[in-house]
Amino acid sequence: MTLKKTLMGAVLGSLVATGAHAQEPVLNIYNWSDYISPEAVSQFEKETGIRVNYDVYDSNEVLEAKLMSGRSGYDLVVPSAFFLERQIQAGIYAEVDRDQLSNYGNLDAQLLQTVSRNDPNNVHGVPYTWGTTGIGYNVDMVRERVGDMPIDSWDLIFKPELAAKVADCGLAVLDSPAEVVALALNYLGLDPNSESKADLDQAEALLASVQPHIKYFHSSQYISDLANGEICVALGYNGDVLQAQDRAASAGQGISVGYSIPREGSLAWFDLMAIPADAPHPEAAHKFINFVLQPEVAAGISNFVYYAVANTEAQPLLNEDVRSNPGVYPSEEVKAKLFAQNAHTAKFDRLLTRAWTRVKTGR
Amino acid sequence: MQLSEYTQQPAPVQAPDDVQAPWRRADAEPFVRIENVSKHFGEFVAVDNVSLDIYQSELFCLLGGSGSGKSTLLRMLAGFETPTSGRILIDGVDISAIPAWKRPVNMMFQSYALFPHLSVADNVAFGLKRDGVPRAEVKKRVAEMLDLVQLGHLGRRKPHQLSGGQRQRAALARALIKRPKLLLLDEPLGALDKKLREETQFELINIQENLGVTFMVVTHDQEEAMTLSTRIGVMNQGEIVQVGEPHDLYEYPQNRFVAEFVGSVNLFEGQVTEDETDFVRIHSPEAGSSFFINHGISCAPGQKVWAAVRPEKIRISRDKPEQADNCLEGTIDEVAYMGSLSVFRVLLPGGRQIRVTKPNMARRFDERLNYRDRVWLSWSGDSCVVLTS
Amino acid sequence: MNSMSQSAPLAVGRRRPSWLRLPGRLIPGRSLVASVPTLWLGLFFLIPFAVVLKISLAETAIAVPPYTSLFEWDGAVAALSLNLGNYQFLFEDSLYLDAYLNSIKVAAISTLITLIIAFPMAYVIARATPGRRVVLLSLVILPFWTSFLLRVYAWMGFLKKNGVVNDVLLSLGLIDQPLTMLQTDFAVYIGIIYTYLPFMILPLYSALEKLDDSLLEAAEDLGCRPLQRFWLVVVPLSLPGIVAGSLLVFIPAVGEFVIPALLGSSDTLMIGRVLWDEFFLNRDWPMASAVATMMLLFLVVPIMLLRNGQGRKEEAA
Repeated sequence: MTLKKTLMGAVLGSLVATGAHAQEPVLNIYNWSDYISPEAVSQFEKETGIRVNYDVYDSNEVLEAKLMSGRSGYDLVVPSAFFLERQIQAGIYAEVDRDQLSNYGNLDAQLLQTVSRNDPNNVHGVPYTWGTTGIGYNVDMVRERVGDMPIDSWDLIFKPELAAKVADCGLAVLDSPAEVVALALNYLGLDPNSESKADLDQAEALLASVQPHIKYFHSSQYISDLANGEICVALGYNGDVLQAQDRAASAGQGISVGYSIPREGSLAWFDLMAIPADAPHPEAAHKFINFVLQPEVAAGISNFVYYAVANTEAQPLLNEDVRSNPGVYPSEEVKAKLFAQNAHTAKFDRLLTRAWTRVKTGR
Repeated sequence: MQLSEYTQQPAPVQAPDDVQAPWRRADAEPFVRIENVSKHFGEFVAVDNVSLDIYQSELFCLLGGSGSGKSTLLRMLAGFETPTSGRILIDGVDISAIPAWKRPVNMMFQSYALFPHLSVADNVAFGLKRDGVPRAEVKKRVAEMLDLVQLGHLGRRKPHQLSGGQRQRAALARALIKRPKLLLLDEPLGALDKKLREETQFELINIQENLGVTFMVVTHDQEEAMTLSTRIGVMNQGEIVQVGEPHDLYEYPQNRFVAEFVGSVNLFEGQVTEDETDFVRIHSPEAGSSFFINHGISCAPGQKVWAAVRPEKIRISRDKPEQADNCLEGTIDEVAYMGSLSVFRVLLPGGRQIRVTKPNMARRFDERLNYRDRVWLSWSGDSCVVLTS
Repeated sequence: MNSMSQSAPLAVGRRRPSWLRLPGRLIPGRSLVASVPTLWLGLFFLIPFAVVLKISLAETAIAVPPYTSLFEWDGAVAALSLNLGNYQFLFEDSLYLDAYLNSIKVAAISTLITLIIAFPMAYVIARATPGRRVVLLSLVILPFWTSFLLRVYAWMGFLKKNGVVNDVLLSLGLIDQPLTMLQTDFAVYIGIIYTYLPFMILPLYSALEKLDDSLLEAAEDLGCRPLQRFWLVVVPLSLPGIVAGSLLVFIPAVGEFVIPALLGSSDTLMIGRVLWDEFFLNRDWPMASAVATMMLLFLVVPIMLLRNGQGRKEEAA
């Protein structure tokens, strides 16, 4: 199901590409779907005269598959930190030239420290945004089915009895094996970064037990489906759920969407801008990174996508509903329960994806 | 060969000129009756109030040009078209409301319409199998029928592996095997070349006479109709214009259409000048002469009529014949030597052309008549037919 | 049925046994014409297939490209290592066999339904007046003017819970709860049948158009009721169209990926999706290549055998 956005991206991308003139300076960006404000791109194009070809994906796996083929043609990509780590090992990325990034100092030093466990010395990636994985839900539909219990536990998704209750109004789960398995391990009280086969088997059994209640596995479709009531519960990314909330509110159909970081703890992830080693236009990529690091631009993106930016200078410029939104910027107490992921070894990765395929197909 | 099973009437059909021929007997019961049948396609009248009686074991030909309505009439007999009005009886039963697949009628199609996916034997067996005839009997009857049409050794071939003549016989076998009361044949020889056609003609007559099945043939070829049929019905613009034995049609056409359609003819327009019981005299301005015809007709003096003379009835000579009922002088305009006979086109002084054929009885060349020769044409009073329409 | 046999009525023995036939290159001109498809096949099928086959024998690695090379050269010793583990795994994990079988099942059912829907349509078109025929045929072809992807998206709009179909059924009072149609096998069948219907109609139409009316009349004349006539004459004579149409639907439907991905649920197990997952989700190129190779063997080999058998039967006839 990761295909939908990719295909649409490809269609749009090719349309954009045919429109571009050969001589024009070009920048090919490959970013997550619904992950930037439209103004940011047009503003960049206007300021620099660089034409931007903007393609989107909705999973780290798809991005990696593209990059691993070699000669992807992209100048700038935005992998999550634990994927960046493996990709650095494969030699995919060029180092970022900080001399070209006058705004680098705006970045949150503490956050740079955090991602350096995946990207030693921060030489390959520049933090874009960060976020959490949690539960997005349709407030009324879920209330109707589970009663007044607080939506603050992974039980809603990982406990078959509860999952069964919301199955009829639609339960969607990210099509992202690394993240969902890590969450399952955490829910079982195991190390989310465990690479033990026995642990994986337990996580697989847990996911298999709720699989019959899952409507689909997809990493972006839940945004619009939550907003229009097609589904009622999603295991998804905070910003995406909050975008759904925003869309539902402006549609005025009486649908209200909530986001919760369960008390058992959840994943925090960091997406970084990185430049492939074979990027045809690395200078333009640097220009774009530096552009995004401007406080106004970073705040604009954060306001639009509901993800937290790692830009200290941007904080005062954020909209109040974003800055004070615990779904975007969680409290210190909640932050303490968040955990990050490490890159998997190729061997475990294979076990993981096999287990994932079995879960998804109900076998 | 076991033919008795297919024979519907013990005695083979009589020669057409036999006085016993059923259509000459007032008491004979027709086998197929077509009563006031019309067929309209929207505004177009394809068949216009046709009535026709056909007798058992006849080989009846519907002769006509394209668009004359002969095929439509045939298709109404088969059940592929429904008459707009009128009714059709076969053996006393009104079949107008019976669907094609239930009628005791089979058809041999012009294109033969053999099923390309079935072998010859399966094509022939097709109709029997639909009737639920036991397998052993089907096998036996198919073998007999294939022998009858001399395809016994080719039963396993597919239609496309047969020659044109073989396909024609396979189609005939398939149409005959259900022992239909009436067999319809749509241009049965049309797809064959001339030589094969002549052979097949007689084969077809033999099979028909042996089986005694009533045949109804549609053709546009007057020669084919003449050789095949007991009687011919000539159709024009949806109507039957004359029904008769081949000889009658040729020698006594009842109107200009039949006279011209069957064989070739010289027609002279004229007026009756003398009308006696045993002869008439007709003055024809275009021939610049009067014609003597030694049999009476029912007409009034001064009436506009046509005198018709067949080309082979006219004698052609260099010298004026001493005694002749009718005599004209002219110039040979064109000669076509055809081996057995020569065809002359003779130009009369008034500009009218006359067609004359003469058998080449002598071998020597110098006796022959040539282009530009002045010649005399003559014929007897009983070779001429007077047509009023 | 074919006009060629008219001019050469005795076709028996015209076809030489294959070992007697002249190789194409001995006949000048013909070899040139034959070389175009050969070159095409070589460039766009055999060479890519060889690449896929090569990758299927490698092992996955974190590298660009993400698999090991088959050849090792350490300056003195050349080593060729073929890893058959991927193929072995195909048979060990029932997922793959299930996916193959399910794909064939989905494709077969879709092909059958498509055939049942397409036959009367093709028949009507073939029997229509020439003017109407052009209109009807262009209606069949018209959907190709929009992107296939867009048409599948349109189906998502039709089938979703608050989509057109549910809205209509609800407002008519036929149902009181919206039906779940999207992300079901039902939706996959709808998508496949809808998409491939023209591929069935067109060959059927061209077969039925050639059908001589007099053959139908002959069947009727010989005692066939309308239904018998259909089974005994129309179906056998349109068999080439039925076979061509069914292959045109069945083959792409087996490997279909987009439709089950967009309209199906996660447990709509089809080999095209397994392949996508192997490639994009698992980033396991060697395994994906092994799946693709096996899919080719599953599909192409039986069809080649079938064609071969048909050719031999024709030769024997």
